[in-house]
Amino acid sequence: MSGQVIIILIALVCFGLALRRGIPTAQRALRETKTNLARVMPMMLVAMPMATFLAELIPADVASGWLGAGSGVGGLVIASFAGGLIPGGPYASFPLVLTFLKAGAGPAQMVALITGWAVLAFHRVVMWEVPFLGPRFAVIRTLASIALPLLAGLIAMALLPLFPSLAVPR
Amino acid sequence: MLALARRHSTLLALSAITVVAVVLVRVLKGPAAVAHAWGGSVDLMLGILPSMLAGMLMAGSLKQLIPSGALAKWMGAESGWRGLVIASAVGMASPGGPMAAFPMVLVLTAGGADIGCVISFIVSWGLNGFNRILVWEMPLLGTDFALLRFLSGLPMGLIAGALARRIPMTWVPPEPKQR
Repeated sequence: MSGQVIIILIALVCFGLALRRGIPTAQRALRETKTNLARVMPMMLVAMPMATFLAELIPADVASGWLGAGSGVGGLVIASFAGGLIPGGPYASFPLVLTFLKAGAGPAQMVALITGWAVLAFHRVVMWEVPFLGPRFAVIRTLASIALPLLAGLIAMALLPLFPSLAVPR
Repeated sequence: MLALARRHSTLLALSAITVVAVVLVRVLKGPAAVAHAWGGSVDLMLGILPSMLAGMLMAGSLKQLIPSGALAKWMGAESGWRGLVIASAVGMASPGGPMAAFPMVLVLTAGGADIGCVISFIVSWGLNGFNRILVWEMPLLGTDFALLRFLSGLPMGLIAGALARRIPMTWVPPEPKQR
């Protein structure tokens, strides 16, 4: 869990910097933290079971077949659009990706899926982008990013030989 | 009121999917599978909790420290690739969810950023935000996978921004609203 140690250290440093700016800044930081936690916690409590229960339902051949390492570019395209359909924040998408990987999905296909979730984000377009920035912004942004999940998946495929630890199914 | 409905719509959608999934697992796979899935979600939650708490503290503190709006003057229509690189970097460093990032687009635009730069910003925020990588991606999917994903995503903000500059559509920011 080296990642966990890193993030805790970075968080403490950031909070230390806020504290150095003065007590009011640190208090604002804490208030912000509390607000964010209150917002994300309910989502998490619902999304974690969602991910694990969906994992029980996903037929093994979807993960290892359609989205498996051998699924090639077709698998990347399916993963890209499937990713765009996943609603919610990282509390929903990453547990799903974890279960897909465990069930035999290919790493490059999962890169495409995460990229699809992050840049296509059909749910976020409707909930946030259009209300805040208007439909034209959403159209320009979508046109500019529609091919990115596939591209990211292709880059991941090319980089995969550099990551031998990911080649074996976990 | 709209904001309230928006916030709850995500929770409602996730809850509905969860309830359907639980019922389906119970019907199709039996009680043992239900117990197994509950166990899995408790493990997930306990595994993610420490980094999530730390990540929230980091996001809350960074928000007080980073004056991202001030960087907008480097993100004009004439800023070329350098503007896109700066916008991507600001996007990656920006903590928080959509309720923080979309208003930032308005702030950057008001500060002089062009459409290419704000799209670089929003794509890099969504795809490569450091905060999300550290809190979710590394602990759940492993450092190697997170690194592969990050490297594969790194050029995407620049590509989206460069493409957006070539799309023959103009965008005028809407009038500022509450929130």
